[in-house]
Amino acid sequence: METWVLSNVVVVLLIAGALALAAFVRRNRLWSSAFAELWRRRPVAVAVVVLYVAVALLDSVSWVGGFEAGEDAVAAHEAQSVIDRLFEGTRERSYSAPLADAEFYGGAALRHPGSHVFGTDILGRDVLYLTLKGARVALLIGGITSLIAIPLALLFGVSAGYFGGRIDDVVFFLMSTLASMPGLLLLIALILAFGKSTLSVCFALGVTSWVGFCRISRGETLKLRELDYVQAARALGVSEVRILFRHILPNLAHLVIITFVLMFSGLVLSEAILSWLGIGVDGSWGQMIDRARDELSRDPVIWWNLGAAGLALFGLLLAVNFVGDALRDVLDPRTVREEL
Amino acid sequence: MARAPVRAALHGFRVLGSLLLGLASGGALGACTNNPYPDADAERKVLYTVFREAPRTLDPAVAYTTASHQITGNVYDTLLEYHYLKRPYELIPSLAEAVPEPRPLPGGGVAYGFRLRPELLYQEDPCFALGGEGRTTRTVVAADVAFELMRIADPAVNSPVTEPFSNLAGFREFAKALAARREADPEFGERPPHEQYAEVGGLEGVRVRGELELEVVLRAPYPQILFWFAMPFTAPVPWEAVAYYDGDEGRPRFADHPVGTGPYRLALYDKQFRMVLERNPNWYGALHPEWQAPGAVYPSEGEPGDAEAGLLDPEYVGRALPFIERVEFRREKEPIPTFNKFLQGYYDSAGIIQESFDTVVREDRLSPEMAELGMRLEKSVNPSVFYLGFNMDDPVVGTAAGERSRKLRQAMSLMVDVEEWTRLFINGRGVPAQTPLPPGLYGYEADYANPYRRVDPERARELLAEAGYPGGVDPATGRPLRLTFDTADTSARGRTTIEFFVNAWRELGLDVSIEATTYNQFQQKVENGAYQIFQWGWVADYPDPENFYFLLWSEMARSKSGGPNTANFSDRRFDRLYRAMKTRPNDERRIALIREMRTILERERPWIELFHREDYALFHGWLRNVKPFGMSFPMVKYRDLDAERRAELRTAWNRPVRWPAYALLGTGVLIAIPGFVTFFRERQ
Amino acid sequence: MLAYVLRRLAHGVVVVLGVLLFLFVLFFAVVDPDDIARRALGEKALPEVLEQWKANHGYDKPLWPWQDVRDNMLFEHFRSMLTFDFGRSDADDVRISDRLRQGFGPSLALTVPMFVMGVILGIVFSLFVAFFRDTYIDTMGVFLCVLAMSVSILLYIIGAQYLIAKLLRWFPISGFDPEPSVVARFLWLPVLVGIAQGLGSEVRFYRTVFVEESHRDYVRTARAKGAGELRIMARHVLQNAMIPILTRVVLAIPFLFTGSLLLESFFGIPGLGSLTVDAINGNDFSTLRTMVYIGSLLFILGQIATDVSYSLVDPRVRLE
Repeated sequence: METWVLSNVVVVLLIAGALALAAFVRRNRLWSSAFAELWRRRPVAVAVVVLYVAVALLDSVSWVGGFEAGEDAVAAHEAQSVIDRLFEGTRERSYSAPLADAEFYGGAALRHPGSHVFGTDILGRDVLYLTLKGARVALLIGGITSLIAIPLALLFGVSAGYFGGRIDDVVFFLMSTLASMPGLLLLIALILAFGKSTLSVCFALGVTSWVGFCRISRGETLKLRELDYVQAARALGVSEVRILFRHILPNLAHLVIITFVLMFSGLVLSEAILSWLGIGVDGSWGQMIDRARDELSRDPVIWWNLGAAGLALFGLLLAVNFVGDALRDVLDPRTVREEL
Repeated sequence: MARAPVRAALHGFRVLGSLLLGLASGGALGACTNNPYPDADAERKVLYTVFREAPRTLDPAVAYTTASHQITGNVYDTLLEYHYLKRPYELIPSLAEAVPEPRPLPGGGVAYGFRLRPELLYQEDPCFALGGEGRTTRTVVAADVAFELMRIADPAVNSPVTEPFSNLAGFREFAKALAARREADPEFGERPPHEQYAEVGGLEGVRVRGELELEVVLRAPYPQILFWFAMPFTAPVPWEAVAYYDGDEGRPRFADHPVGTGPYRLALYDKQFRMVLERNPNWYGALHPEWQAPGAVYPSEGEPGDAEAGLLDPEYVGRALPFIERVEFRREKEPIPTFNKFLQGYYDSAGIIQESFDTVVREDRLSPEMAELGMRLEKSVNPSVFYLGFNMDDPVVGTAAGERSRKLRQAMSLMVDVEEWTRLFINGRGVPAQTPLPPGLYGYEADYANPYRRVDPERARELLAEAGYPGGVDPATGRPLRLTFDTADTSARGRTTIEFFVNAWRELGLDVSIEATTYNQFQQKVENGAYQIFQWGWVADYPDPENFYFLLWSEMARSKSGGPNTANFSDRRFDRLYRAMKTRPNDERRIALIREMRTILERERPWIELFHREDYALFHGWLRNVKPFGMSFPMVKYRDLDAERRAELRTAWNRPVRWPAYALLGTGVLIAIPGFVTFFRERQ
Repeated sequence: MLAYVLRRLAHGVVVVLGVLLFLFVLFFAVVDPDDIARRALGEKALPEVLEQWKANHGYDKPLWPWQDVRDNMLFEHFRSMLTFDFGRSDADDVRISDRLRQGFGPSLALTVPMFVMGVILGIVFSLFVAFFRDTYIDTMGVFLCVLAMSVSILLYIIGAQYLIAKLLRWFPISGFDPEPSVVARFLWLPVLVGIAQGLGSEVRFYRTVFVEESHRDYVRTARAKGAGELRIMARHVLQNAMIPILTRVVLAIPFLFTGSLLLESFFGIPGLGSLTVDAINGNDFSTLRTMVYIGSLLFILGQIATDVSYSLVDPRVRLE
């Protein structure tokens, strides 16, 4: 299957999932009051996060055809997303400052004067466009990695905590082994070993980041196992699988959400470092920053590339950090402190 | 002899210790300075310059990059060298007493006789103890030059310049005999190289006559051979050094420990961050100033204009070289910090990074601000050519696809707007190239315009359709034709420069992807033929058209012989013309041959010629006797610098701006005060 | 006591072996040795060139010990790592152990001052913020911390080099020289950047610890007895918060040896971090796996040291 078809399907599934989740939250009093509290505490941060997600989704819906090739005959054969189409044919020849009417060097008139909010880069691409496209990359990194790391951590953490004994020993050994290796180096080693691609970056990030949550879920499961109603269910002969799914996992749900949000900013920051090492994900803000580094020494200075990418990265992380903090306070003030 | 690791560990601790000392000795903000050098060196004649990656090898028979010539060119003196000031380039004797004249031999061969100067000494080095207890140096003999020539032939040394030297009589036979003996007798291969060479019977074309005389015999005329005797490849090398420095028991490899006769010696070699050259007290110029040898005193004549440029200052003419006592190479991975340190006065010269070009150069001259700081700008068209190449062995873009691939290459060539590229990425510092030959070389035609080196998208589309890729679509897949561009530049910036070409080709509908690997890997990839399109440059070894057209000679093909014909271009007619042109003196016939070769390249398009680089080098006013040389020969020994002036200016330019520190501190206090006030009011 | 130390050591050894096995699987089984050679030599390398390269770098033996217990890569990998003879680099054939010895000095020169000053500043600032808890200083402090945490370290480095080194000319832009008279001036800037970068999360962590500690009963008792707020902070809260602080600090110490990847590389400090970056850029797998191994070895040793010293202080720990 073509990747763009897959991406469209995923978007549809995501939206469907989000709607279903929203319906569930509305019905469940505990969760709906928690989210109402979150919204009350940090409306701006939540709105910002939603905005980023919306941009990323718009950039994930794409189709072939109907794209005026113009400068780039290959592009007409490739799938173009909504964002691509919004910025169709905005290329200039080279640098131009934000909202400028003429090229930065030489002063030749622009094809689209005054339309580039963040200016254009050395090859004449609209910087706002590049920045918006970075949102999808950032969320992809966070999303795919969490999809790998969280189930893995739950599987190992819950089974270790619940069954104990040998399983616990093995999981504990696995955790101490992984935890003992320097994170960034392990990350890089994994990427070099599995090749440089978006998926392998996410996989490596997943492998290096599941340990923390695994430890938390193991500890939490240990506690839950001893609770009265779990003990009672056991005494009544309820099957282990049923106990796990009815009593243990639902009680870990809030931890999953908090972990996801708190892990997210770390992942995106790590990607920026990887980009600088030349093993990041194509089109990420990290790569934009890396590219723009030299431009700061130009005279007169070219700041808008670095500025736009830095601001986009900073904005997302700040919002996510605030949402994460608020979520933690709302959902669980004690368990997850600074493990991540 | 397992000292080296211990020393390394001690070094580690010393660094830590010195840090504590340094911190203790007042590193407070008040004492802050951005001077990266010890204060004691401020008033000494130390030249500061940079390196990016430590050279892979300093073995003179192998080292072939500008970076390694910075060291080998200073440490190893050669039999001949170039006159510092005269243009066109002129050879002068260095270790040899005179520049030899060719002596025709019966049977078509040619002989050159060299006579070494007497009493030449090597630098002090423990390896000479191999030749006698307690010895630290010895005199240079003709056999040392012969030894080095044999090392070039030795397949185990893996010299990149075997081709030009295969003009020596018996060169290939010697290599074969050596390899055969090693194959047959593994024990033989373990012995020191000089013994092996002697055992095989030496190289026929190199005849040693007594201590100081050497005759070099060529199978056929090859006048360019003398240029090679001005390059470190042919420097005398002591057999002791090769035998002693084998990389075992804590001894470095010979490739990391040069032992030569040059004006400087390598005093410190730390590949991670620092290399230091120091005056070699055993240099013949220092031991025998009375000789007034042409390579050991400052020249008294140059080309017109040199006197006006201050290059024939009577203060220097006839004075013994070298003037600079030490050369410090610091590792700088990034160009921008390097240039900023130059602006601060901490490097004595610099290329101009493109980011700052507009501040430094205005209307092709040094900007008034920079001129006021006493800087000088030297421009010169480098004898070089930069180009995009196709791997002609590739099934899609290469010869195998016949007319189809030719039209594809022609179409791609018509899309590359090199003027725009140079404008964007190198500030227009390049003369657009029409042929491989740069301006200033014999056979260069200023009024020739290559019909495939203009920008013509219309014609390119037609050609592409004729090639069977209408609109860039490959009929086999129904999609845009996929090609790869292989590069050694993994940086985001490097990627952008290539994206420029890729975007142009995308206009045609060709889907070119960029594959970036490290330089070494890229070189190895190239050696193995795993590439389609690449970007490459060539800087002349010597000023002769042969040195450019041989880049497309089939004998030099990377895939065949590991030579520099990276495009693996192979065309019988071109080869024939090249061979005829190679040995001809500069006459009308030679021009005609060059024109014919040019026509073949124009049609075949193994290269998309980009530009000939123009060098803009910046120098601080305190650096004296600077004349750009173009080719990669370090001319450090002729330069001088005014260290006192430099120290003064450095201080003046680098006064730290302190007020923001105080302002920051003040703000912090101001913010905190109301907090304290409220707090105490509440808690009281 | 001895039994506990022995048990702890045994556990450490098992984890080290686990790390080695993991590295082996990653670098020999997942990455086919042919692939390492091909990455070093190019996709279409001639078979004999590949074979020669593999033989030179010890990649030509059988992977697992099924045929010959000693002559295989697994044994060779464990032998070379456990005897600290790391062999030669895949990229340029230099002895890795020599490189390590040369690199740790500059690395420590950067990380030790950064760490010490970072911890001290972190504690001072967080005490300050915790002292003024529930005032605007606290709110602003936490806000600044989150702000500082949301900026990529790359931006810190770029900003500091531009502002402090280029415009204000306080320190050299980059570089290094072990010479005692000059070494400090190269280190100021990377040390400052390192501290600034870590301070946000550091302060936030310590603040949580202090705030939590100051809600405890003994603090309330002390306050009821009329002890001054400053005295409570300094005497009671700080002392009782020492254990979580120490844990964090002690566990960070081993990583000082492996240096800082980004800072060293950007500021041209020839330590283990910049060595690692060179190894990454050059696909130098042998150096890279050595660095991972050394890093985890140091971490495990640090952990054992921490646990053992706790058990000396507090016998209850041993029961766990």
